[in-house]
Amino acid sequence: MEVLQLILNGLMAGTVLAVPAIGLTAIFAVLRFTNFALASHMTIGAFAGFIANTTFGLPIVPALAAAFVVAGIIGWMSDEFVLRPLRASGFVTTAIGSIALTIALENFVRFGFGNQMRGYDLPLRRDWVISGLRVSPQQFENLLIAIVVVAMLFAFLSMTRTGKAMRAVADNPMLASIKGINSDMVARLVSFIAMGLAGLGGMLSGLDTTIDPLVGFRTILSVFAAAVVGGLGSIPGAVVGALVIGVGEELSLLVLTPAYRTAVGFIAILLVLTFRPRGILGQRAY
Amino acid sequence: MAELSARGIVAGYGAADEILKGVDFSVGRGEIVCIIGPNGAGKSTLLKTISGLLRPKAGTVLLDGNDITGRLPRDIAHAGLAYVPQEHNIFPSMSVRENLEMGGYIDPGAVSKRIVKAMERFPVLGAKQRHAARTLSGGERQILAMAMALMVEPSVLMLDEPSAGLSPLAAEKLFDAIIEINRDGLSIGMVEQNASEALAISSKAYILVDGRNSRTGDAAVLAANPEIQRIFLGA
Repeated sequence: MEVLQLILNGLMAGTVLAVPAIGLTAIFAVLRFTNFALASHMTIGAFAGFIANTTFGLPIVPALAAAFVVAGIIGWMSDEFVLRPLRASGFVTTAIGSIALTIALENFVRFGFGNQMRGYDLPLRRDWVISGLRVSPQQFENLLIAIVVVAMLFAFLSMTRTGKAMRAVADNPMLASIKGINSDMVARLVSFIAMGLAGLGGMLSGLDTTIDPLVGFRTILSVFAAAVVGGLGSIPGAVVGALVIGVGEELSLLVLTPAYRTAVGFIAILLVLTFRPRGILGQRAY
Repeated sequence: MAELSARGIVAGYGAADEILKGVDFSVGRGEIVCIIGPNGAGKSTLLKTISGLLRPKAGTVLLDGNDITGRLPRDIAHAGLAYVPQEHNIFPSMSVRENLEMGGYIDPGAVSKRIVKAMERFPVLGAKQRHAARTLSGGERQILAMAMALMVEPSVLMLDEPSAGLSPLAAEKLFDAIIEINRDGLSIGMVEQNASEALAISSKAYILVDGRNSRTGDAAVLAANPEIQRIFLGA
């Protein structure tokens, strides 16, 4: 029963992890670099949602929308004015620049809000117990929200002209340019959506626990591991990778203390890079 | 009057690297014009320059009398020139139908109608419209690439080595498709390694050597030239 409980917890955590992991992999697919600034945008989203929820009294779903929009706008601006000028120097330089950016943004949040932990204004609810398995209503709601968000994203990518153009740029940027697709506009849109998803993911993580300026930093390794395990650049891969990492981190509690669960991310990256460098679904798969 | 006219094109891939050293090239209305020459002559570079992927250091490119020199590829596509690269000319992880949709990206209003037309012209694309493009054979990929280019109903189609890597049978089918497209009135400029086939279907030919025009003229006349036959046709 304990194993089943851990698997259930892992699947729920993995589904939430999939949201920012899709953001990371989408940026890699289109802009060809790993944007570690995703961590600070998770934090920004978590705090934007916190303000919407506690200061303006918005319910959780509109607060999540605020988290998405604020993190998305800051993500677009930070890419436009900080990372874009670095792209000509290569992907390593840009990725390192994104680490510097994330430290700077995280410290802006710390400057404004301090280091203390904060919680959303949520009603206290008892956990549900179904066939001996315990599920918190908030975890379940997070799961549903994450599923709806991922489904909407897939619908956007597969059914809209703009979504298809994003996939085309990810698939073959030179041909996309020849076909008249404005890759600069696509890059801006990807930055907005990906960092919006990061912000949404940051708030979803915080809903289940608390938030502080390190909420993104603590999660980024798992997010990165999910994207690498699924196949960096593959959006369905990010979902699969997130579920693998989520379940793996929970199952690790059978043999490790919670302090070492982040080791799962490192081990997963190591194993994937050694035995299947393209990830479970392979790069560039949609 | 030439539909596409490039004059004195100087271009390359770096500041000091001049692949093209003043090349002239033109395609008249309704013509098939081929460019042949040895490896490294600058044939593909010329097509990339005309289609906006490379910015020329000198020279002018006119399409229907409008100057398109150095404009962005998407602006040149809007102006009516479609370019099919030799490689990486499809979106492999997208379906055949989605590839056609992206082919017509700049003219979304007409996409549905043109997809039906493309599938009537190339039934293999209709049969495989839901398949991922990466699963197509080499010949089918080239057909798809050409059909994508036709989605915007261009005035000039530029093909870079369309038969490269194809079996003789697939190449023959492809050349038949090129002739058929041309019969509908589309002007075609084509770089091709298969010189005999290219000269056979073209009305005019350019021979490039070391980034310069070496010979230009009627394709049939050039094909009958013993020196050309010896160098390019393996006679």
